[in-house]
Parts: sequence; C-alpha cells; structure tokens
Amino acid sequence: MSRYRFFLFRCACVILIVIGCSEERKSPLTSDSSVVHLTYWPASNPHEIQLADSIVRMWNHLNPTIQVRMQPIPSGKSTEEILLAAIAGKTTPDVCSNIWPGALHDYTEAGGLVVLDDFPDFDSLASSRVPRELLEAFRSEDGHYHQFPWKTNPLMMFYNVRLLQEAGVDSVPRTYSEYLAAGEKVTRDTNGDGQTDIWMGERDILPIWWQRLMDFYPFYIAASKGKTLFLQGEIAFEGAAAEKVFAFFQQCYTRRLFPKTFFQGGAPFLLEKKATHFAGPWHIATLKKFAPHIEYGVTPILVPDDHEGPTYTTGDYKNISIFSTTRHPEAAWEFVKFLVRNERDLLLLEIADQLPLRGDLLTNSLFTDYFYRNPLMVNFARQVPFTRGLDKVPDLREIFDALSQEYEACSVYGQKTPAEAVRDAARRTRLILEWNR
Amino acid sequence: MNGLQHIVHVIKRGGRSGSWLTLPYIIFFLAFVAYPLIFSFILIFHRWNIVTPMEWSGLRNFSRLFADPLFFKALGNTGIFLVIHIPLQIVVALGLAVLLYSRIRLRGFFRAVYFLPVVVSGVVVTILWQQMYSYDYGVLNILLTNIGLPRVPWIVDPNIAMPSIAIMATWKNVGLYIVLFLVGLQQIPRDLYEVADLDGATKRTQFFRITLPLLNPTIAVIVILSTIAGFSLFIEPYVLTGGGPMNSTLSTVLYIYNQAFYFNHMGYAATLGLFFAFIIITVVIFQRKLIEKESYA
Repeated sequence: MSRYRFFLFRCACVILIVIGCSEERKSPLTSDSSVVHLTYWPASNPHEIQLADSIVRMWNHLNPTIQVRMQPIPSGKSTEEILLAAIAGKTTPDVCSNIWPGALHDYTEAGGLVVLDDFPDFDSLASSRVPRELLEAFRSEDGHYHQFPWKTNPLMMFYNVRLLQEAGVDSVPRTYSEYLAAGEKVTRDTNGDGQTDIWMGERDILPIWWQRLMDFYPFYIAASKGKTLFLQGEIAFEGAAAEKVFAFFQQCYTRRLFPKTFFQGGAPFLLEKKATHFAGPWHIATLKKFAPHIEYGVTPILVPDDHEGPTYTTGDYKNISIFSTTRHPEAAWEFVKFLVRNERDLLLLEIADQLPLRGDLLTNSLFTDYFYRNPLMVNFARQVPFTRGLDKVPDLREIFDALSQEYEACSVYGQKTPAEAVRDAARRTRLILEWNR
Repeated sequence: MNGLQHIVHVIKRGGRSGSWLTLPYIIFFLAFVAYPLIFSFILIFHRWNIVTPMEWSGLRNFSRLFADPLFFKALGNTGIFLVIHIPLQIVVALGLAVLLYSRIRLRGFFRAVYFLPVVVSGVVVTILWQQMYSYDYGVLNILLTNIGLPRVPWIVDPNIAMPSIAIMATWKNVGLYIVLFLVGLQQIPRDLYEVADLDGATKRTQFFRITLPLLNPTIAVIVILSTIAGFSLFIEPYVLTGGGPMNSTLSTVLYIYNQAFYFNHMGYAATLGLFFAFIIITVVIFQRKLIEKESYA
C-alpha cells in the first residue's frame, strides 16, 4: 500500500471514529417538520411502566402533532443518581414523573428544571387538585414551583391477619406497648429447631440513609404529631419524639421481635415470616401479584402510648417536572396537564394502586367505584391529609445518613441510649449544615 | 531522561512509526491518569456537586477533614483490617504453600482449587459469605448450633465484623499469595535441605532456619502487595455490611466513595483521596525501608 493510500485509509478511520462517537442529535422535527417529539421518563417498576404506556398511547393517538416517547428511568442505584447524572450530561428527558421532593434542591440548584408557575394555568390547575396548605409544601426556596404534585404513598402498617390470630392477638396494635406485647406472642420458633421462624417485624439493618424513610422518619412524624426534622431551617428533631422512636425500635431488637439479620431469597412479609410490614399502597399491588393467598390488613403507623389526635405519616410524594433541556416547554406542559387529568388519576389508582395527590379522593364520584372495589385503599386515602413530606434543606441524604448511624447504634445494637443517639444525630447534623454552608 | 523527553527524542530522530505506536498509551495516560490527577488537585480547593459550577472554597475541605471524626474512624478501621488481614494472609498462604509444595496426592487439583476464589468476582464472593455469615440462617451458625456452640454474630457485632471481613478477604486472596510462595519455595536449593538432613536437623528447624529466611524477599513482596490491597478495601464492606455495624467496617475507600457518589461532595472526596494517598505512600515507603533493613541485617 502506498504512503498516500495509507494516509487516506487513516483519515477514513479517524472520520469513522469521530462520526461513531459523536452524539446523535435528533432533530425535534425528525420525519415531519410539524411534529414535536418529547421524551417521558416514568418510574421503572412494572405497574408504572404499564400506566405510562397506556397514557402515552392515549396521548399519541389524540395528539398527532406532539408525539411522546416513553422510556422508563434507566436502571441505577436510585432515580436521584440517574437524574443528577443526566443533568450533568445534559441528557435529561423532557418530562419525568418520578421526582422525589428530597432531591429537588439539587436539581434546581443545577438549573435543571423549568419553572412551572410561569405557565399561566399552573396555579388554577394545581390548586384545583391539591389543598393550598399542602401545595405550599412543594414551593421551592426561590418561591417558584419546579414540580407538579402528582401522587402520594402514605406509609402505613400492613399486618398478616392469620399470624396475629394464630398467636392470640385479638386487636391490631396501635401503640408501641400494644405492638411489643403482640410481638412477644407472635415471634416464635414454630418447629422447635431453635431458630425463630416468625417475627413480629423486620427492617433492613444496613445503615443506608433511605432505609430510615421507611422506619424512623414516618414514626418520628407520627410521634411528633406531624412535625418534620427542621423548623424554619433549624433542627427540630432534638427532643422527646425522636427519643421515643429510637427507644421503641431498640425494644423491638432487644426483645428479639426483629431479627438482626439479612433475609435471603425473598421478602419476609410475602413469605409469611413476619407479621407486620411498613409500606405504602404500592405494596398492595405486590401482594396481589406475588402472595394473593395472604389475608392482610392496613393500619396507621404506631404511636407512643400517650399519643392523642390523628396519626400522621410520611407521604412519600412523587411529582412531575419538566427539565430545562426541553426544546418544547409548552408542549411538555400540555403533556403534564394530560398526565394529571381526572381520568389519568383513575388509571393511576387502577393500574398501580397508588394515590393521586388530590384533596377530593374520597368525595369525587369518579373514584367511588374504585374505592368500593378496593376497600383497603380507603385507609390510605384517609391518611392523605395527614401526610408530611421532607424538609427543603441541602444535604438531606447526609442528614438521613447521620440519623441512620444513630438508629443503628441505639436501636439495633443498643450501644447508646435514645437520648445520646438523638443528641449525637443533632450534633452531626449541625456539622453537616456548617460544612456545606 | 524521562518518558516525555524520550518521546520527543524519538520523534526528533525521525522514528515516526515508533511515536505512532506510543500514541494509544499517551492518550490513555492523559485521559485516565494525568487529567483525573490534575483535576483532583483543582477539586480539593473547590466545592462541587457535579451538576452546579465549581465554587472556590480555599482550604475548607482540609479543615473539614481534620474535624471529621468519621474519616478518622474509617482510617482506624482500615488499620485494624490490615493488622488482622496481613499476618493472617501470610500465615495461611505460607502454610498452604508448604503443604502444596510437599509430595501430596492430587497436588495439582488442590493448587487449582485454592486459586479459584482469586478469579471469582469479589461481589459474588461477598454475597456468598453474606449468606454464610447470616446470624439466624447462616450455614456457619447452623453448624455451630448443631455441635452445641452458641451462634456468632459474624457481621452484626461491631467487634467481630471487621475480623469476619478479614477472614473472607483472606479466603478470597490466599490463592494468589500461595502461588508467590510456591515460586519462592522452588527457588530454595534442595541441597540445603539434604545437608540439614545429614546434620540431623528436624523438619521444624529446617523450616525456621532455611525456608523462612530464604522466603524473606517473597514475604516482603506479599506484605507490600497485601498492604496496598488492604488499603483499597471496598467491595467487601460495601456489599456485606454497608460500613456497619456502627461504622465498624467503614473502610476509608468506602467513606470516600460515599462522600463522592452518595452525597456528591466531590471536592471533599478529592481531599480525602489525596490525604489517603499520602498515607499509603508513607506506609509503603516505611515498610520497604524496614524490610530492606531487616534483609541486610
């Protein structure tokens, strides 16, 4: 091969590599210049994919000029990590419906989200669905709305009716004492091999921050009668409510009502190895699919013995946002409005067994039939007004990590008193806030 | 003449094809070594969470480091791991190597079996041990209770969790060090043992007077290799315990990872990484000096 030909060959190779590595820049007006294309990321669980697929088909049929492509959030450790990586790489979708309010601060700080209250009909639409007081909780620190409140999954306690009855527990526990007393009866070795076969409850003992959103946090909200961790930017959890929660879980582990182990090979509630489980309404769909034989009930999160008034819990909200990379914010907003219409809210209930965040769930006739057919979901719907979200503070994950460390030290291993654990968690939280100020 | 001067020299000499051949490595070096290194030096003076622009923070990351009890806890945990893991690794590897060097039946088979965990993925090994270590349902505790012994809280007791990880890491890596010891054993002249036999030395004396002193260079290599590997302890606590119980298995690398990828404190994580690299280099240099001194003494 002559040097000239070799040179041409090398040039061709370089051009091919450059073309191969370059980002595919799809024109928003690909095949037909009048058609706008949007990308929509729903959560990646099977029920929500099914829901999103139905909605997108419906939308695409009704709106030939704005075509939506549904793509479940790419798999990763968490949605938040994926979205942050996507913001950094400018590969975010136009619309995403799995926005966790706890991570919103990071997204807005990065300028990753479109301000929704700039759309003229945002206020009327949002206030027609969500009670004003609850809506305010979703306002960002800059005074704008970057998320549209969409759905809530109030955390409650599932219980296995058969396991409680077999142990002679007549009434479902509501307070810490009742739960511990019931636990003494339920937790036992059924076949005499020296190993406990049925537990009253179980929590993941790994000190991972988000695990505390499923135990410490809803219990703290319940014990504090609806307070969150901060009040006007200052630590508010340093007190009796948090101490009571740490003490309660400490009792669960000390009395061996909860195992200090990792369950392998399946979810213990589905396998009827534990009598109670703390989860949101999404768990109903799981039970229907994987353990339809289990007879279960749902009751509010446990409260201290001296508790009075309604029982609050965490709302586990998931909202909808439009990313600032969109080239068609108006079209994206139209799609968001379509997602939150009454008929789609009914689909959210029917397909995913999840509650739309709206104030008229139990009064709107559109949902009556659904709640008649799914009486357990009424418990969750009743809980909606008594749900709380997360504080709008930076480094929330690190703060939950600090709480997680103390939960582990105090509740799981009994190495600290509840008062010491709360004091140390508050001390670490102050350090985190100071470091990151 | 350093690497860059050499490349310039080669190009000047007209060895163009040679310089083309070095290009892939130069690109790799610039992209994956030089650039990250320079970037992390820039990061240590900044606050950056990947998505927002970098913010100058001066020496704040250093002041945070020295006031962060969790980092020093992680550093201490790594030290505990090394203190348990390195001697255990050497004793087990040496014992098995001596056994596998002797004329036993199925020697080749056993050599392969002991090497097997080295080539198995660390995550797979850790998940396997997680099941074995389970307090209520683990096979180790079932065996213990079957012979009338109490259960051991392998990975749920803050005092036992790190030794449990050290045992697992030893099991995983021992095959590699057995191979190194076997190479060392093969280099010891057989006639030394024959002379010792004639002099009436017992096998025990032969081991301590001939084998062990002549394996000193191999032991030195193994100590340095397992120190570096031990400092980078990550997969085992990440998968097995998440750093718990009570941070007793939180290794330094796991803590740096958490700061970088859980909490997005890239500047702080870079500072921790730099400080930790300085500690590793210091320890390894000190080890080397000490071993060299011992060898020449």
